Amino acid sequence: MISIDNVSKHYGSFQVLADCTTQVSKGEVIVVCGPSGSGKSTLIKCVNGLEPFQKGEITVNGVSVGDPKTNLSKLRSHVGMVFQNFELFPHMSIIDNLRIAQLKVLGRGMDEATEKGFKLLDRVGLRVQAEKYPGQLSGGQQQRVAIARALAMDPICMLFDEPTSALDPEMVNEVLDVMTELAKEGMTMMCVTHEMGFARRVANRVIFMDQGRIVEDDSKDAFFEHARSERAQQFLAKILHH
Amino acid sequence: MYELYEFDWSSIPGALPFLWQGMVVSLEITFVAVVFGIVWGTALAIMRLSSVTPLSWFAAGYVNLFRSVPLVMVLLWFFLIIPHLLESLLGFPRGTDMRLGSAIAGFALFEAAYYSEIIRAGIQSVPKGQMAAANALGMNYRQAMQRVVLPQAFRNMVPLLLTQGIILFQDTSLVYVSALADFFGAAYKVGDRDGRLVEMLLFAGAVYFVICFAASQWVRHFQKKLKTA
Amino acid sequence: MGYNWNWGVFLQPSATGGDTYLGWMFYGFKMTIALSLSAWMLALATGAVVGVLRTVPNKGLSGIARAYVELFRNIPLLVQLFLWYFVLPELLPTSLGNAYKQSNPLAQQFLASMVCLGLFTSARVAEQVRSGINSLPPGQKNAGLAMGFTLPQTYRFVMLPMAVRLIVPPLTSEFLNIFKNSAVCSTIGLLELAAQGRQLVDYTAQPYESFIAVTLAYLIINVVVMFSMRWVEERVRVPGYLGGK
Repeated sequence: MISIDNVSKHYGSFQVLADCTTQVSKGEVIVVCGPSGSGKSTLIKCVNGLEPFQKGEITVNGVSVGDPKTNLSKLRSHVGMVFQNFELFPHMSIIDNLRIAQLKVLGRGMDEATEKGFKLLDRVGLRVQAEKYPGQLSGGQQQRVAIARALAMDPICMLFDEPTSALDPEMVNEVLDVMTELAKEGMTMMCVTHEMGFARRVANRVIFMDQGRIVEDDSKDAFFEHARSERAQQFLAKILHH
Repeated sequence: MYELYEFDWSSIPGALPFLWQGMVVSLEITFVAVVFGIVWGTALAIMRLSSVTPLSWFAAGYVNLFRSVPLVMVLLWFFLIIPHLLESLLGFPRGTDMRLGSAIAGFALFEAAYYSEIIRAGIQSVPKGQMAAANALGMNYRQAMQRVVLPQAFRNMVPLLLTQGIILFQDTSLVYVSALADFFGAAYKVGDRDGRLVEMLLFAGAVYFVICFAASQWVRHFQKKLKTA
Repeated sequence: MGYNWNWGVFLQPSATGGDTYLGWMFYGFKMTIALSLSAWMLALATGAVVGVLRTVPNKGLSGIARAYVELFRNIPLLVQLFLWYFVLPELLPTSLGNAYKQSNPLAQQFLASMVCLGLFTSARVAEQVRSGINSLPPGQKNAGLAMGFTLPQTYRFVMLPMAVRLIVPPLTSEFLNIFKNSAVCSTIGLLELAAQGRQLVDYTAQPYESFIAVTLAYLIINVVVMFSMRWVEERVRVPGYLGGK
């Protein structure tokens, strides 16, 4: 589904990503972790072309992201993305947030878009909030809406960029629950997150990054039981104390 | 049919001394108005923030009045009325040329209203704790304002004050309404005399642009340095 | 000092006949309003385009937009007005220039004034639009793009609606300025409010009444503009959204 091949990126002389290679198969859930500044957010943003990269190739469902001829908007319209700061559109009601791209990007009709929107709000348990505005919802609720908004586009895979790190601790679980359910339904997911509990429960593979490199790329069990690199062991030890 | 205008720039070199005199007038007005505007503007800002109600009302009324009316109108009225007043009140001889004086007075009183708003915002940007701390050290209101609050406020405001100075310099061209030969007035007169208004107006525009653009770039540079310092 | 106040002067028939001095004032008032509102429309439209261009990734386009803003910001309004009114018709091809010069003088004055004020103000509007867009959280643009919007769609549906809301308060002061700046157009003979005030002085020898009346008229404009912009602000307020950050 997603193939990342030898990708490098630098800002001037600063290397952000160095020769990153990995694959995500259909239905797989990958957790990407690592210390801050390790390049994990940049990597996930390269997958839908929000960040350009200088070397290597990324393909999503066989379409090359780096190719200037690729219609990036079209590609992005079926790659869902969830951001750290939710990024709902503050000037639109919740239901409008779910409808706008369906109407303007996919060209769906109003009735279809509305029905789809309500169905997804039901699913994340927020139907009653449909007419409210993002600023009137809690962080956890906003993030659930953001997930529903991405799902409204019928994505072939989902990218999560630290979806819980801007949340108050008591709201983390409501978001993780939605993500867990999504994984169980077979959604292909690539998640940048520090939630190791989530990784243990849901992930098929864990990727550990440090200084722009993919240091570990292992099955979940292998990663948690005997991470090979010293940096990954240190990281796991530190996470425990949070 | 489709002839284009033929430029003739030859009247500029000979007129340079006269234009320079005009520039001196423009700079004079700018300088005096900036200095007076900041001093009177600071006084207005302090009055506006003071707890003495009549003072703050007076300052608010003054600032709002001047900020609601066009500068051209103020200049016109100073040009028309001040000489009248001075003649009848202070017994100035009739026909004394007070154009420069009344223009400067008009600018200064008008710009003070704008400066006072910048300065008021600057004073309010200094954390309240600073005044309290100065009072705790035994300073009275005046000392605290003068030694602690204003120095910090002015540091924050310098770029805005300078930018306002550039705007003021541009505005000096409006003394045209009082027939005073500032730089723009001088350029207009030369162009009118030689039948070369097109060239002189373009020249004047270019000169203003070069001066104001350079000055605003300098202010921006200065602002960056201030931020990193 | 023996000044004779005479407020009745406004009701006297004017020196040129056919109208009272109050009628003169009212004519100037209407001219100021018509000029300022039409220039404001031009300023908003042009300023929005230039302001957006200043923020686009394309270096060429943003450079052109920056040059536009610097040009209109660094030349005094009066000089710009004279350039539009006296210089531009001379620089047109002769036949076109002559046709323009033979048109109705009031139309010439009004057109030059409107274009001048409108473009002068558009540079300021553009700066507000730019700072409004730049003050949005950076993730909003990415969120729009990630949903499959093209860049123009992202501006249209995501960034501009919020940016416009954020800049209503600073635009209020630009809107006020355009009314005040319109007084500069009296210098090319356009009979707007300030010019009519001056005429009144020349014809009636009652300078103080005329001065006070014109000042009051500008105060009224200010109050009306402030209230209407506050109304706009209320109307576009987003529920639950506090401040710009």
